[in-house]
Amino acid sequence: MNLKEWIKTLTFYEILLGMKATMSHLLHYKPITLQYPHEKRALPSNYRGMLALLRYDDGTEKCVGCDLCEAACPSRVIRVVSSEVPGEPTKRYSKEYYMDMTRCLFCGLCVKACPVDALGMTQEYEWAVYDKRQLQLNKQQLLAIGDRNFPVREKRLEFQHPNVAYFNVGFKDIPQKEA
Amino acid sequence: MDTGIRLALTLGQIGAVMVAVLLTVALLTLLERKVLGWMQDRMGPMEVGPYGILQPVADGLKLFFKEDIIPAGANKFMFSLAPVLSLVPALIGFAVIPFGPDWTVDVGGVNFKPFVITDINIGILYILAFASIGAYGIILGGWSSNSKYSLLGGLRSAAQLISYELNVGLSIVGVLLLSSSLSLVTITNAQAGGFWNWYFFAWGSFPQAIAFVVFIISAVAETNRTPFDLPEAESELVAGFFTEYSGMRFAFFFLAEYGNMILVSCVATVLFFGGWHAPFEFLQGPESLHWLTGMFWFTFKVYGFLFLFFWLRATLPRLRYDQLMRFGWKVLLPIALGNIVLTAIVEYIFP
Repeated sequence: MNLKEWIKTLTFYEILLGMKATMSHLLHYKPITLQYPHEKRALPSNYRGMLALLRYDDGTEKCVGCDLCEAACPSRVIRVVSSEVPGEPTKRYSKEYYMDMTRCLFCGLCVKACPVDALGMTQEYEWAVYDKRQLQLNKQQLLAIGDRNFPVREKRLEFQHPNVAYFNVGFKDIPQKEA
Repeated sequence: MDTGIRLALTLGQIGAVMVAVLLTVALLTLLERKVLGWMQDRMGPMEVGPYGILQPVADGLKLFFKEDIIPAGANKFMFSLAPVLSLVPALIGFAVIPFGPDWTVDVGGVNFKPFVITDINIGILYILAFASIGAYGIILGGWSSNSKYSLLGGLRSAAQLISYELNVGLSIVGVLLLSSSLSLVTITNAQAGGFWNWYFFAWGSFPQAIAFVVFIISAVAETNRTPFDLPEAESELVAGFFTEYSGMRFAFFFLAEYGNMILVSCVATVLFFGGWHAPFEFLQGPESLHWLTGMFWFTFKVYGFLFLFFWLRATLPRLRYDQLMRFGWKVLLPIALGNIVLTAIVEYIFP
């Protein structure tokens, strides 16, 4: 060790340098803490939060019970029981729809897989519960989540694109294309 | 009659000092978390009360109502005794600290010193002796818990306290040579007149600055504070010697640690920084106001040292065990011994 290093050791130079750093943080106090329950950070628009089932603007469920979301889910969160719409044998819907949110990893593959955009990801993330059974959601709960998070609903596909042919011809209650 | 008055006065004084120390401990728990937070760009406690100022109350209530657990296989007597053995020496040292001017008041025929509980002529020795007893509480608490972590913490603290108490004792010998007294009141009175008379600077004699550095490092080690917090190393030993303690027994250890911090700050203030004396004579005010300015300057200096403790904790990581031992025995001890020799020579040549 040369003289300079000796002097540095004897005067605790490195320790004083560190203490200067902490003191400068005290004097220029700028906390990076977000006081979470009182302040919340802005979420990005593509935030993948709680899953929800959606409706069309006339209140009918979008889901056609095709099971593609169940097939796409890597964690086996979703269970769909599909059946015919009563009285309309050409149309199907999900009679029962269950999600076990304890297993969900919020990858969004089910939303991508859905052919009718019946699933959506909301910005909700405060889903801590005291009983984990409360995280096993049924269709009504998922629809309710969708209702409270997406107040603006889509029109039916046939109204969105009135000039495009659509497959579901079984509807009797909607205006048909003029011949 | 005289005995009754003396007893009442002394008990009142003890009560006042105890309340002041315990309130300071409560304040310190909040202050430490706040200062640490501020230094690390955090906020510290913010939830209980405005800006978290009621946090000590919440902590105290929580500790008071927690279940008191004695682990299976623990030595119950020793387990209960250890927190008391730790707390009492921490508080008892305040008996000889002069908090204000050395006045003697005549109350009903009894000579009464309002700012020091008892002015015994071996004050500093008394504090050192009781600080050593405090180590017993830590070692017994670690041993009687029937837990490996506690035992390791206790053993570490035994070795650490023995090696660093020696340095505390040797580093203050220089001050004792200059003041030729062990009484803290006499030592304080010898430093009157301005900051150049404080033993840290010691104008006209050998300055005790080096001894002060040795003392403050050893004091940090003796109070088990970072960077010498090996006995309670959270990341290695869970909590060290008080891993198994809960509720009020844990609170006793906690009080003891902070009480010790205040005590060594008081001792450092008295020995090296002139106790209740202001840095300049005119800051002391008129004679009749000495009690106020004296108490102010004493508190100011003590809080300065306490801030230094927090500052060190926010800055430094924990030492390794062999580094701790090497630093204590190979660095601090020779420096303290050299300081004694130099002070003695200078004091002999320029008496």
